[in-house]
Amino acid sequence: MSTLDANSWLADHGDYLFRVARRQLHSDELAEDAVQETLLAALTAQARYVGDASPRTWLTGILKHKIVDLIRRNVREVEIPRDEEGEEAVDSLFKQDGHWAEPLRPWGNPQAEAEMGQLRRVLDQCADRLKPVMAQVFSLREVAGMETEEICKELNITPTNCWVLLHRARLFMRQCLELNGFSKAGAA
Amino acid sequence: MKWMPTCRDATELASRAMDERLPLSSRMALRFHLAICENCTRFNQQLQEMRRLFREETAADNDTTGLAPEARQRIATELQKKLGS
Repeated sequence: MSTLDANSWLADHGDYLFRVARRQLHSDELAEDAVQETLLAALTAQARYVGDASPRTWLTGILKHKIVDLIRRNVREVEIPRDEEGEEAVDSLFKQDGHWAEPLRPWGNPQAEAEMGQLRRVLDQCADRLKPVMAQVFSLREVAGMETEEICKELNITPTNCWVLLHRARLFMRQCLELNGFSKAGAA
Repeated sequence: MKWMPTCRDATELASRAMDERLPLSSRMALRFHLAICENCTRFNQQLQEMRRLFREETAADNDTTGLAPEARQRIATELQKKLGS
């Protein structure tokens, strides 16, 4: 059984919650909002805390909903971006006949080759380079492990748009990682 | 979709296969394509590698960043307001 002490939440779990939120929202400012909203909601909900999860797990559960709320509020209308991450950018990765424009290089073992901190930096940098909506949908799927059906429903986007966003995000992420030292040839 | 998808089509199928079970015809088309295409086979493997890295990296929590002091102060103030009310 765990007990709750609201006074220690910020000190004990604030940084952790911030990091979790930052990795899904790709914005310090939004991540700060998520932490604040989580702790305020937790104050209201603490009577319902039954003590079978650790306070951190309980707070993280609330955070998950707040993150989705924030993304939803932030992207009132989820449109498929038309500019540099739209159709044209995908076009540039392929030839007219649908073949890859450039051969894909094999990746080394990024975990063995890079310090963990370095790996995180490259992953973060590449995710940050995506358009916000694309980065957030990508993170909800690949980092948070939410099902696409859930993501579509929460963000009110059609499954087709969701797949288009994820397909593009993956194409661009892969390319970015390759350009930033993931390929054997380019490994530092 | 044509019986033999292009690389571009195949990346779409491979991406979607990361999210849900593909219909049989699409699954076969993707499998045919991967059997003869080194680049798309690599793409498919790297999609799975990316997922693994992102999830492991997040679970490892070896990140040392945290709330900025101003943000922490702001949140503490909001919490106090609510606690006091």
